[in-house]
Amino acid sequence: MTIAEDVAILPEGIAWGLLIAFGILWVLLGWYLGRKNKTAEDHMLAGRNVGLALATATAMATWVTANTTMTAPQLALQLGVWGMFGYSLGALGLILFAPLARRIRELMPHGFTSGDFIRLRFGKFTWRVFLGVSLIYAFGWLVSLAMAGGVLINALAGIDYRVGMTVILTVCVLYTLLGGLRAVIGTDFVQTVIIVLGVAFIAWLTIDKVGFEAIHFNLMEERPELLNLLFPAAIMFLFNNLFFGVGEIFHSNVWWSRAFAFGRSVGFRAYLLAGLLWLPIPIVAGFVALATPALGINVPVADMVGPLVAAEILGLTGAIVVFIVVFAALASSLDSLLAATSDLVTRDIYRGHIRKRASDHEQFRATKVIVVLLGLVTWAAASYRGELPVIGSLAEVLYFTGAFVASAIWPVVAGLYWRRTNPTGAGLSMVAGTTLGLISYFTIGFYVAALVGAAVSLVVLVLSTWLAPRDFDWRLLAEAEPRSDAPVTRGAQ
Amino acid sequence: MMISAEALGAVVVVATAIATLAPFLLIALFIRDWKRGSLW
Repeated sequence: MTIAEDVAILPEGIAWGLLIAFGILWVLLGWYLGRKNKTAEDHMLAGRNVGLALATATAMATWVTANTTMTAPQLALQLGVWGMFGYSLGALGLILFAPLARRIRELMPHGFTSGDFIRLRFGKFTWRVFLGVSLIYAFGWLVSLAMAGGVLINALAGIDYRVGMTVILTVCVLYTLLGGLRAVIGTDFVQTVIIVLGVAFIAWLTIDKVGFEAIHFNLMEERPELLNLLFPAAIMFLFNNLFFGVGEIFHSNVWWSRAFAFGRSVGFRAYLLAGLLWLPIPIVAGFVALATPALGINVPVADMVGPLVAAEILGLTGAIVVFIVVFAALASSLDSLLAATSDLVTRDIYRGHIRKRASDHEQFRATKVIVVLLGLVTWAAASYRGELPVIGSLAEVLYFTGAFVASAIWPVVAGLYWRRTNPTGAGLSMVAGTTLGLISYFTIGFYVAALVGAAVSLVVLVLSTWLAPRDFDWRLLAEAEPRSDAPVTRGAQ
Repeated sequence: MMISAEALGAVVVVATAIATLAPFLLIALFIRDWKRGSLW
C-alpha cells in the first residue's frame, strides 16, 4: 500500500541525501563505540556501568518511537487535548519502572536478561510461558517499527515502502551488529537531542506564527469536542494506554537489559528523570495538530497531520526537520529492540535450550548472528504487510500484543517484591491473562485487550498464591551462573 | 467542560519549555559524567 504521493512534503532527492548521511553517521558511530567489545557481556550490557547522562537519554530515546512523533499529533486531532495528555501518561511506565530497576540491579548484579530472572525466580514452566509472551511482543514491535519506517518514509518523501523500510532496517542492524548495546546507547544520546530539539522547535514556531487565541477560537468554531475535558472516548483511551505502556516496559528485555547495564546507583535516577523529561514530549508533538483549523490545512491522512503542519509553517525546512526527527525516532527504538531481543534469544533460547554449555565467545558470536537473523525475519514479515491475514495495520499489530504484555505486569512485580508468590501460578496467570485478553480483543475491541489481560492475570496470580504460597530465597537470584534451572522453594506456608 | 485558551497555552508553554531544556540538561550531564570518567 502506498500513501498518496501528493501528501509527500519532501523532495525524494533530499530525503535520500538525509537517509544516506544519517545512515552513515549511525553506522560509523556504532562501529567506533563498539570497537573495544571483547566479551558477550561487553556487547550485550555495555560493561554494566553506564552513567546517568547516557542512561537517561537511552531510556528517553527508546520510549520516543515514531508513534510518539507521528501518532501524538494524530490523537490530538482525533481525541483533542486528552489525546495528547493521555499519550503523555506513557511516561508513567518509565517512572514506575525506576524502583524496579534499582531492585533488579540489587537482586541480580550478574543478570543478563528478563528471562534469567523469570527462570531463576519461577522455574522452567513459567520461564517458557514468559519467553513466548516476550518474544511475540518483541517480534510484533519489531515488525510494527519496520512497517512504520517504510510507511513514514513513503508518506514524507514518496520513497517506495519496501525500499525505505529496507534502508532503515539495514542501517539499524548494521550498527547494532557492530557495536552492541554500547552503539545503541551512544546513538540514542545523539538521537534524543535531535528528536526533542526538533519537536520543540516546531512547537515554538507554531505558537509564534499561529498563537493560542487563534488556535482556540478556530477549534471552538470547527471542532469544539477537541477542547472538551470530558470527551469519553479519550478517557477510555487514556486507561488502556496506561496499562499497555506499563506492561510493555515492565516485562520487556529492552528495559531489563538497561537495568543490568546501568551503573549500580544509576538505574533509579535515570528511569525517573527519563520519565519526567519524556512526559511533555507527546504534548509538544501533539499540540501542533490543534493548529490545523486555524491554518486551514486539509488533512487527508490523519497520521500525517504533524508533518503537514510543520511543512505549512516552515516550508522545506519544516519538512527536513520532521524527516530527521522521524528517522532518529525510528532508529532509536529499532536498534534497542534488535539488541535486547537478540540478547534474549541468545541467553534464553540458544544458551538456555540449545547449547547449555556455550562459552562466552560462542555467545558473543551467536548474539551477532541472531541480530542479522532477526533483521531478516523482520524484513520478510514487514515486506508482506497487508498481504498476510495476521499482519494488518501498524495499530493492529501493536494493540494485538496488548493482551500479552499486560498479562506479564503482575508476575514481574510479584516476582520482584512478593516472596511467597506461587511460581506455577505466575505462569498460569500469564496464560489466562493472554488468552482472555485475546478473546476480548477479537470479541469486544482492541481497547480492552490490555485491561482484560492485566485484570485476569492479577486474579489468577493472587488466587494461586493465596491457595498455595511458596517461599523463596532472594539470594539465589544473585548467582553469576545459576547451578539449577529450578526455583528453590521452601515448602508451602 | 472546555479548556480555556489560557489554560491550554499555559500547559503547552510549560511542556515546550521543559522539552527545550531537556537536551541541554542531558548535554550538561554528559559533560559532568565525561569529566568524572563515568560515562560508561
